[in-house]
Amino acid sequence: MPDKSELLLGCAPITERPGMERAMRVAINRVRHSKKATTFGHQQAFDKALAKLVRNIPVDEQLAEWFGKESLVPVVRRGWKKIVRNPVVIAIAIAALVIGVVTAYRVYEKLNDFPGADKARRLLSVAASNRSVLLDPLQTDAGALTDLFFMKHHLEHYDVPAEFAQFKTLGSRVFDDDEVRRVAQIWVKEKRMQFFLFPAEPDKQGKINDFSDWRFVEWEGWTGAVTQRNGVCFMAVIRGGEKDLRAYLEKKKA
Amino acid sequence: MAVTTKNLPQLYRFCFLMTGDAAKAQTAFQDTVRDAATRTDADEPPPDRLWFFRQARDRCIAVTEEGIQAEPGMLEEAEISPDAAAQIATLTPEQLAVWISAAPEPQRSALALFYLDEFTLPELLSLLDMKAGELSDLICSGRRQFQSWLDSTTAYYGGEAHHAG
Repeated sequence: MPDKSELLLGCAPITERPGMERAMRVAINRVRHSKKATTFGHQQAFDKALAKLVRNIPVDEQLAEWFGKESLVPVVRRGWKKIVRNPVVIAIAIAALVIGVVTAYRVYEKLNDFPGADKARRLLSVAASNRSVLLDPLQTDAGALTDLFFMKHHLEHYDVPAEFAQFKTLGSRVFDDDEVRRVAQIWVKEKRMQFFLFPAEPDKQGKINDFSDWRFVEWEGWTGAVTQRNGVCFMAVIRGGEKDLRAYLEKKKA
Repeated sequence: MAVTTKNLPQLYRFCFLMTGDAAKAQTAFQDTVRDAATRTDADEPPPDRLWFFRQARDRCIAVTEEGIQAEPGMLEEAEISPDAAAQIATLTPEQLAVWISAAPEPQRSALALFYLDEFTLPELLSLLDMKAGELSDLICSGRRQFQSWLDSTTAYYGGEAHHAG
């Protein structure tokens, strides 16, 4: 019974073109260096002679005209509907849409950013990775810590805004961050919120412009509401969305 | 790969090998190309190169169905001669087409497609819907049968080939 390479050699290509199957290439190379090389050579000469005869098949003049008529040959005409239904086009469109939305969101975010927004986001990552045991236990009103920060750490204007001053604290700490510099952190009982107080960032002209409204930053499911007074930023952080924080800000307004 | 006007002569040659008759080949060829043009007008998926040859094969089989059908294993076989190329050189394409068209299916299709020297092995197997072993058997037996026919039809003496008759 002939083996696989013999079977392949039986239908070996008449003209060896690039891209030939590996098994066929191997079988041909092997037989050319074996005792069967002569027999295979005869087979190839036989096949080439027949293929040459096939190429010489005359084509009727009347029929030859058909070969020049491009209109008889179906041309791939793709309507826009077909193009739109193509899975590749759909995938590219979805990818472009996602990139567009992300880019638009980033641009919108940057336009609404305030100096120090990057610092605030960095502190959101600190909030996400922190545990309460890192802080010094302290149970008092958050507003009362202003004096502590000033007296103990010489941090001036590290004031907790009135909206959050009544919240009961669990602990606090003051630490130095490479980018944000002196940061005061407070944990409160209310929804395990955290407060951060840190130096404000000057704008491009080098000026520090306070803002009394609340501006929001987000980072991986954490949201911070930031306000800036006397060159110090206060940020209330909660795990959740903007609406969770707005509830506290609007309660105070009312 | 798309079909272009460059492939059409090969399609006609295939029809000619399958039918062994210029008129029948022309009919099968024209019907296939017309069918392809109709499909495109009807907004159906554009036919590819293999589609043309599949369609043409079906048409050629249909157009020759009415004649006498060859039966497998009826012909004598001979080992391929070292002089086979020279013997073949004395033949005309029409003689070859008549011989191939007289072969039983699917050997006829296998020989016609193989000697077009147009397709890769996977394409041949796809067109003929068979395995490599089957194709190899058909081609090998076809070679030996053709050699036997060559030997009975032509004789080769010292570099010159002469028709036996």
